[in-house]
Amino acid sequence: MSQKTITIIIDEKGNSSIDLDGFADNSCGKVFEDFRGGDKVKTEHRKATFYNSKPVETQAKTGR
Amino acid sequence: MSKYGTLETEIKEQKHLLAALTEMGYRPEVHPQGSCLVGYEGQQRPEKANIIIRRYQLDSASNDIGFARTADGRYVAQLSEYDQRIGFGQKWLNRVHQLYKEKQTIAAAKAKGYIFKGREVVKTDQGEQIQLRFAVR
Repeated sequence: MSQKTITIIIDEKGNSSIDLDGFADNSCGKVFEDFRGGDKVKTEHRKATFYNSKPVETQAKTGR
Repeated sequence: MSKYGTLETEIKEQKHLLAALTEMGYRPEVHPQGSCLVGYEGQQRPEKANIIIRRYQLDSASNDIGFARTADGRYVAQLSEYDQRIGFGQKWLNRVHQLYKEKQTIAAAKAKGYIFKGREVVKTDQGEQIQLRFAVR
């Protein structure tokens, strides 16, 4: 199981981004709030890793 | 699930604002009830603020710089046009926001039990970015 990591980048204007990695459950919502610190959310989305985390067995088998 | 979001920093916690200004080399005054800013000739200005950097810490012809607490709990900077022209403009204010956010983030993470993994300053064409990394305990 990969480690759950949080990366905060504070840009030159003082605004920030939150990047959550390795969260296989719904706890990332709480973690996001912990790091939001009352700031205004400009954008928010699930990452591609979430959509790619389906088990391999569900992929269709093709070919001979 | 993993997630990505962008935030607009709002200065709401006095202690982190004071820490940011102190790191920038100032000795800010705290006035819970607000105090008038003083202009470059020593006259009181109509603007009041709760956190004040007195003009003698700025430039010889500067006015005081203030941060006034609004009804919704945010601190809003009060900068004279003159001071904005001589280096205390948006870029200076951005630096205040950046240091504030760094201090606020580290304090919040520590209080909630996250593990601090490191800090890195990344130079970009737009300026310096601060990167903070944490892990879940």
